[in-house]
Amino acid sequence: MMLLDLFFAKAYAQSGTQAISLWERMQPPLDISENGHLIDWLFAYTTAMNIFFFFFVCLGIFGFSYLYSAKRHPKAYYTYGNKKMHILIATAIGLSVFIAVDMNITRISNNDYMNVFANFPDEKEEDVFKVQVMAQQWAWNFRYAGSDGVFNTDDDIITLNDLRLPVGKKIVFQIISKDVIHSFYLPNARLKVDAIPGRITRMWVQLNKAGNYDIACAEMCGTYHYRMQAYLTVYNEEDFAYWLAEAQGSAEIENDLDNPDLYWGWKWQTQK
Amino acid sequence: MAFFEQHIHDKPTTFLSKYIISYDHKVIAKQFLWYGIAFLGLGGMMAIMIRWALAYPGVPFPVIGQFMFPATDGVIPPDTYAMLFTMHGTIMIFYAITPILIGCFGNFCIPLMIGARDMVFPTANMLSFWFAVLSAAILVFSLFTPLGAAAGGWTSYPTLSTFIGSPGVGQTLWCLAIFVLGASSTMGAVNYITTIITLRAPGMGYFDMPLTIWGLWLTAILNAIFLPVLGAGVLLLIFDRVFGTTFFLAGAAATSGSGDPVLFQHVFWIFGHPEVYILILPAWGIVSDLLSFFARKPAFGAKATALAMTSITVLSTLVYGHHMFTTQMSPLLTQTFMTLTMTISIPSAIFFANWLGTIWKGSIRFTSPMLFSLGVVFVFGLGGLTGLYLGTVTTDLYLHDTYFVVGHFHYTMAASVLLGGFAGIYFWMPKMFGSLMNEFWAKVHFWITMFGLNGVFFGMMIVGYGGMHRRLYNPFVYDYLQNLIPINTFITMSAIVMGAGQIIFVINFVHAVFFKDEDVGDNPWEVGTLEWTVPSPTPHYNFKEIPVVKCGPHEFGNPALPEGRDFQFQTEEIAKA
Repeated sequence: MMLLDLFFAKAYAQSGTQAISLWERMQPPLDISENGHLIDWLFAYTTAMNIFFFFFVCLGIFGFSYLYSAKRHPKAYYTYGNKKMHILIATAIGLSVFIAVDMNITRISNNDYMNVFANFPDEKEEDVFKVQVMAQQWAWNFRYAGSDGVFNTDDDIITLNDLRLPVGKKIVFQIISKDVIHSFYLPNARLKVDAIPGRITRMWVQLNKAGNYDIACAEMCGTYHYRMQAYLTVYNEEDFAYWLAEAQGSAEIENDLDNPDLYWGWKWQTQK
Repeated sequence: MAFFEQHIHDKPTTFLSKYIISYDHKVIAKQFLWYGIAFLGLGGMMAIMIRWALAYPGVPFPVIGQFMFPATDGVIPPDTYAMLFTMHGTIMIFYAITPILIGCFGNFCIPLMIGARDMVFPTANMLSFWFAVLSAAILVFSLFTPLGAAAGGWTSYPTLSTFIGSPGVGQTLWCLAIFVLGASSTMGAVNYITTIITLRAPGMGYFDMPLTIWGLWLTAILNAIFLPVLGAGVLLLIFDRVFGTTFFLAGAAATSGSGDPVLFQHVFWIFGHPEVYILILPAWGIVSDLLSFFARKPAFGAKATALAMTSITVLSTLVYGHHMFTTQMSPLLTQTFMTLTMTISIPSAIFFANWLGTIWKGSIRFTSPMLFSLGVVFVFGLGGLTGLYLGTVTTDLYLHDTYFVVGHFHYTMAASVLLGGFAGIYFWMPKMFGSLMNEFWAKVHFWITMFGLNGVFFGMMIVGYGGMHRRLYNPFVYDYLQNLIPINTFITMSAIVMGAGQIIFVINFVHAVFFKDEDVGDNPWEVGTLEWTVPSPTPHYNFKEIPVVKCGPHEFGNPALPEGRDFQFQTEEIAKA
């Protein structure tokens, strides 16, 4: 471990980035969402369980290799492993892994998924902020409904690779792709969903930290897949209202109503 | 239980009939081995180039870079990078691991270990190899077409793989190569299944077969069922590309059509998930046997291991949806696939317990095949456990299509299978070529490979958890990935060390095959399965007399055996005190 640390100390001295420890480097990006901690927690829980069981695997491999090498243990114990006791132990191991790890994480993950990530906010009851996303090779198009609250109209705010969102509101995305399959990936919110030509996929998120973050495409989409980057700016409420008003103003002036490319949006698909 | 006489044919005499158009399962096995090793080298070279681009973006690739990419002054360009990882995946899976684990060991071990003179269908066997050569020729040819080879990833999802994303002829040739290879593997699979069912030596029940044969048998069954599915999928893709159909095209602005790109993902992963088990099952079988052979102790719960492998085979066909969580399937399907995926851990844990039970209280000889087998237990433990994160839907939302996935599937499909394959090569070397490889260099090779691959694949899981997504030419255009630069450099260095370590293997192997003249005896490892009852290297028609099997394959350490002997052949009555 010390050797590794030394190696990394050297490597980043060369790369010129600021010096942080290996442990800090291994951390996932800052979590800016209300629900991302559920995923981080489940990851940590699974890791703890894995370390626990893998410890026994290693104990078996290295311990038995040490104790029962031909030198130390010249006469092997003759057994087929079909005694009642043997079968019992093997079954107990199988079931303990299944119950302690698998059933637990399946239950937790299922609860999280059904109650949070796939449980979209009710658009009639709640104040939901809606954004349409269209992926294309190799850029992200975003569309806000504008002052009339209806998508694909003259007053829509349209941005390219520049997504600005408010803190605290539930945000629902409807996502589509123009050409090939992309994947809308918010590393800071621990979420991604594919953008597929011909079908609308959805994602919802609630953010809680203002700042500047990255949006990436996670699905191979061609040569410049790695360049399909967009910027996420998260504002607190006042700043967002200010930006939205400004963007609305310039959209109403600048939108070229004769350009058919302006109308790539669609009627918002209300579900529930 | 032979249904028909197995005649002894004349030995082929001409060079052509002996080495090229050979019907002999042993020669075909060796052909597949050379073919696989050659592609392993090519695929490995591509891996090093991929790693180079990731660790040192914008730096010319050393030595050969100037010749290969003169236009960019030796720097790997992004479109070539996409071809590299596409070809790396395709070559490693279909042209390196499949021929070595299934083509070579399947052909070599099945008749010898079940006491048969050859495969049931020698002609189909020969055709299976030559179809594989044809397929490889198409794939290699595609590298030299204008616009280059396929570059949509080895999964080649439409619509990227249709003419919208890949206009070049390379992608069509890729589909064609996979289709031809599917035909080759299906022929082989049908042959294996039939041979195992009909040609087992008299007295050999299914549970008297070595576990290697169990693994190969289950693999062949999966192959025969699911490769045609992939064949159908790529055929439809060829239709979309060449004849203008729209199976996988759907109607946004740039594409139009009444199909569905997600359909291909279903077709692909119905095949693709079993494919993982197609690759790993032979390695599991080999490891289960070798652990018992070198612990000098019967395989612990051999029947349970065989049944656990069988239930995994069945389950593997029911879980493919976990590859598609982010396409937003119906939540009911998501729940179903998640739960089914998790049940795989029961049989896996059982045979893991059995592997450890096999070496428990054994008398372990640390030969090179044994070291590699223990290595498989270690890396497959890591690979299997990290699958849990990807099988649970919420963690998969974050980790899907990141390097965590890459690390995970390399642990299961590359590390375990590669180590299992090496174990097999070291072990059956005397029976194949009549000589043993140098033990010292074999062990050096093991430790370099072991450290190298853990550095590479564990590092990949770390950067994946750090959020780095897959198939990036230059990940460092993203702010949040800046921290991962030194870890990526470390991975690349591990990969280079590991790649260089394989040179030891190649030299050792070539030396043992061509330049070593020694008499290793019929049974250098002191093992009792049927192939060790015949001379090394194996004579033209294997068994002069078809053997009669009287006991199981793992009879070691029976206290009733005479002094100085701790194993017995399968042809001997079980020793009783």
